[in-house]
Amino acid sequence: MRSEDTFLIQNKLGLHARAATVLAQLAVKFDASITLYQDEKEAAGDSVLALMLLESSKGKEVKVVCEGPDAAPALEAIGQLIAQRFNEQE
Amino acid sequence: MMKLSSLICQDCSKAAVLFNSKKRILEFISELAHNKLPYLAQQDILNSLMAREKLGSTGIGRGIAIPHARMNGAQDPLALILINEKPISFDAIDNRPVDIFVALIVPDGDNSQHLKTLSTIAEKLNNKEFCKQLRSAQSDESLYQIIVEQS
Repeated sequence: MRSEDTFLIQNKLGLHARAATVLAQLAVKFDASITLYQDEKEAAGDSVLALMLLESSKGKEVKVVCEGPDAAPALEAIGQLIAQRFNEQE
Repeated sequence: MMKLSSLICQDCSKAAVLFNSKKRILEFISELAHNKLPYLAQQDILNSLMAREKLGSTGIGRGIAIPHARMNGAQDPLALILINEKPISFDAIDNRPVDIFVALIVPDGDNSQHLKTLSTIAEKLNNKEFCKQLRSAQSDESLYQIIVEQS
């Protein structure tokens, strides 16, 4: 199973340390391997260091690719977290 | 790409320190940062570091933590690196104890600059060989030399 979609980073601080940590904590809950792509860079969804390397700021589009038995729910959960601005106020 | 060595200076590089708790190491970080940025009160730096940890641990896995404080009065980002002789419990994301601490004092508000600073640090720490070298540094000088040579 493979699912992918593109999401817009909407929170003011972008993919900073806390947002990257929340995303990685969500990613490890799934069996699917989760990869994020932005511009020419890619990052494993379960690695905070790799996610911070993306330097994703507000307004950037990030492609999320999930591969594995639970790819569809994984993609939905990651997409929802990004859309909810990582549960941040702004 | 920004260089890690442009963020860290020798008197902010401490090898083989020995602290046994989150609180103690954050206190030491705030003391070092205050010496470097005397216009920021040590207690304010400490409070800001502690408040950030309360939101969620900055232990990002593989024995690494990046405690940081966004401070209103800070002018440029400052990074400090400490290698604790024994890994300590830091509520890290992977539950592993932490021995590499890269602390950051950053100006409040400049979000794109902050993301660039984080990515500079992540790029180096993502390299396992580099982390191994940091852990084996015997003195503050040799720790600082590794950073200058490798970044």
